[in-house]
Amino acid sequence: MEKSIERQRVLLQHLQPPSSAGSSLLSASVCAAGDSAAYHRSPSFGDDVVVVAAYRTPICKAKRGGFKDTHPEDLLATVLKALVENTNLNPNEVGDIVVGTVLAPGSQRAIECRMAAFYAGFPETVPLRTVNRQCSSGLQAVADVVAAIKAGFYDIGIGAGLESMTVNGPGWEGSVNPKVNEFQQAQSCLLPMGITSENVAHKFGVTRQEQDQAAVESHRKAAAATAAGKFKDEIVPVITKIIDPKSGVEKQVTISVDDGIRLDTTLTGLAKLKPAFKKDGSTTAGNSSQVSDGAGAVLLMRRDVALRKRLPVLGVFRSFAAVGVDPAVMGIGPAVAIPAALRSASLEIDDIDLFEINEAFASQYVYCCKKLGLDPAKVNVNGGAIALGHPLGATGARCVSTLLNEMKRRGKDCRFGIISMCIGSGMGAAAVFERGDAVDPLSNAKHTDARNLLSKDAV
Amino acid sequence: MPVFKTPFNGYAVRFSPFYENRLLVATAQNFGILGNGRLHIIDLNPAGGISELCSFDTADGIYDCAWSESHDSVAVAAVADGSLKLWDAALPPSSNPIRSFHEHAREVHAVDWNPVRRDSFLSASWDDSLKLWTLDRPASIRTFREHSYCVYSAAWSPRHADVFASASGDCTARVWDVRDPGSSLVIPAHDHEILSCDWNKYDDCFLATASVDKTVRVWDVRASRAPVATLAGHGYAVRRIRFSPHRESLLLSCSYDMTVCVWDYRTEDALLARYDHHTEFAVGVDMSVLVEGLLASTGWDELVYVWQHGTDPRAIS
Repeated sequence: MEKSIERQRVLLQHLQPPSSAGSSLLSASVCAAGDSAAYHRSPSFGDDVVVVAAYRTPICKAKRGGFKDTHPEDLLATVLKALVENTNLNPNEVGDIVVGTVLAPGSQRAIECRMAAFYAGFPETVPLRTVNRQCSSGLQAVADVVAAIKAGFYDIGIGAGLESMTVNGPGWEGSVNPKVNEFQQAQSCLLPMGITSENVAHKFGVTRQEQDQAAVESHRKAAAATAAGKFKDEIVPVITKIIDPKSGVEKQVTISVDDGIRLDTTLTGLAKLKPAFKKDGSTTAGNSSQVSDGAGAVLLMRRDVALRKRLPVLGVFRSFAAVGVDPAVMGIGPAVAIPAALRSASLEIDDIDLFEINEAFASQYVYCCKKLGLDPAKVNVNGGAIALGHPLGATGARCVSTLLNEMKRRGKDCRFGIISMCIGSGMGAAAVFERGDAVDPLSNAKHTDARNLLSKDAV
Repeated sequence: MPVFKTPFNGYAVRFSPFYENRLLVATAQNFGILGNGRLHIIDLNPAGGISELCSFDTADGIYDCAWSESHDSVAVAAVADGSLKLWDAALPPSSNPIRSFHEHAREVHAVDWNPVRRDSFLSASWDDSLKLWTLDRPASIRTFREHSYCVYSAAWSPRHADVFASASGDCTARVWDVRDPGSSLVIPAHDHEILSCDWNKYDDCFLATASVDKTVRVWDVRASRAPVATLAGHGYAVRRIRFSPHRESLLLSCSYDMTVCVWDYRTEDALLARYDHHTEFAVGVDMSVLVEGLLASTGWDELVYVWQHGTDPRAIS
């Protein structure tokens, strides 16, 4: 009996090493996360949803930029086609395409997107729908596809986003219900976005200087990322036409870089700009997101399907949350949505290595970063909407490609990333992504189809 | 790929150096805490599946086993009662076991047969010592006593007939030459117990150690101040480590985290594959010398898996 107690002691010590001093290894990141991560990952089932590819078009200035004479659906068709071609996926296998799109009339845009699928070479059997959750539509489209795959509706889907702010601008059709006067919050929904930005700046004390500084940083980081070729992996060049405004001559062009980034942006330059929405306000054209055209698309599938097709796992979709906030200060959305998404992923904010927070306005972006106590070195490392532009429906999908490619570049130290944005009419959305190979059990193990147990000699 | 169910909990598995379809499996009842042991010799059938050729029972659990490098039917078992038992599968049951050596004061945790000289083998025991044996002598030739806690593993150098390494719970790995009076090298390889060690089969200077600190480390014995590589990725203590007989920098490990991992210690993303087919501690692994990429593992879930690297061990072919 004593012997067996002694044996148990020896074996137990293998499992519970005495915490001897000077052993830094027990808290080494890989191991610690492996068994102390608050949620238990079980990739062996292979039924979580993974991103295998994510692309975007360049983001170009509306009405003046590279896509001013491009049909919106051509932007979508380009990224959809890139997804299929770069993954060698049989388009027949796609269960659904969901496109986030905001400003265009709903039914017409849905039809345009359906046509875009045909332009991209998808067969008639692949369905398509649009979704509109304002500025987070692209992310919502991705989340919808993830949810449908998890529900078992299909195994492979595409979440995309499209916006041409050249073609479609904000507007209001018909009259406003007079009941709105009795409901303060409903009334706030009608506020122009710039005013909500002023509200955030005023209510939470974000100074003009802070906002301009954020804008300068955004341009600087985006310019550096472009110069370093960081966007090359995510941008699909668009072959289109452009009409010279003076001569009216039409010209074939290939657009392959974002055209909103201004490297020469300085604090003194921005300080000269007049407030755009309120006379004594602090929100200017220089510290707000740009009005842009662009599209993005994300190919999602169940992990076991990706493994079977031997497609690389770029990232794992861990959680998603959409929350409501006061419409008058809709910009605070990320400050509420990010904790919600973290909760449902059972993670802490310190677990997150990278953030993509949409810079709708510098005011709300600065507020959210401060409120959440984010390390500036982790947020929008390649610039944000102030420099790149904010094609409303496309932004969410754009961020997926930017985030996952940056996580890929950073390697295994960068395990979790978050995408978040505020939403007009008072909401916020956030999604947590995990680096693909952090949980890939057999990613590098080659498949052998034939039964290869014995050599020929034995048989 | 075939699966073999053992009545007791698996402790070790070894491919035969003579037959590519033959394996040795060491098992112990009640997780090796209390009860009997059984050594199985199993054959992979050409048609798929595994059949048992024969088995040998012991009065206490078997913690490790090794094939003789000189006789294709002889195997040695490390028994928890402190004995070493040898069986010849070619002989009738009445003549078996052909040898039984009882010198260790505590559990024998590991055995390794000398692959160069082929006439001797080593045992490592929880009595803090290692012993060197040959078949033709009634007692051990030598006892190596330097470790200050359980010795969990012994591994002969694949190149030098008289050199071997040992791994111990005293947090050191030692390199020995049986012609020398003491160990020739002490590596304080980990801050926690070291459960296994193995030599590189192509470069006789490289040694791998596996530890309770969840890592595997690769050492150059010519410069043992710092490891050549540290492989992190297991969630619990790494129980066994083996270098590939076919690819210089490939390693196979198994762990209390129930997984079997394949590593290439020379690449940046060292973890090549993780197999999580076991549902209990994975404590035994081996790589076939005769068939490249053929792996075997066993664990406390009483299952022995044999599969080709890159395939799913659980897949029924």
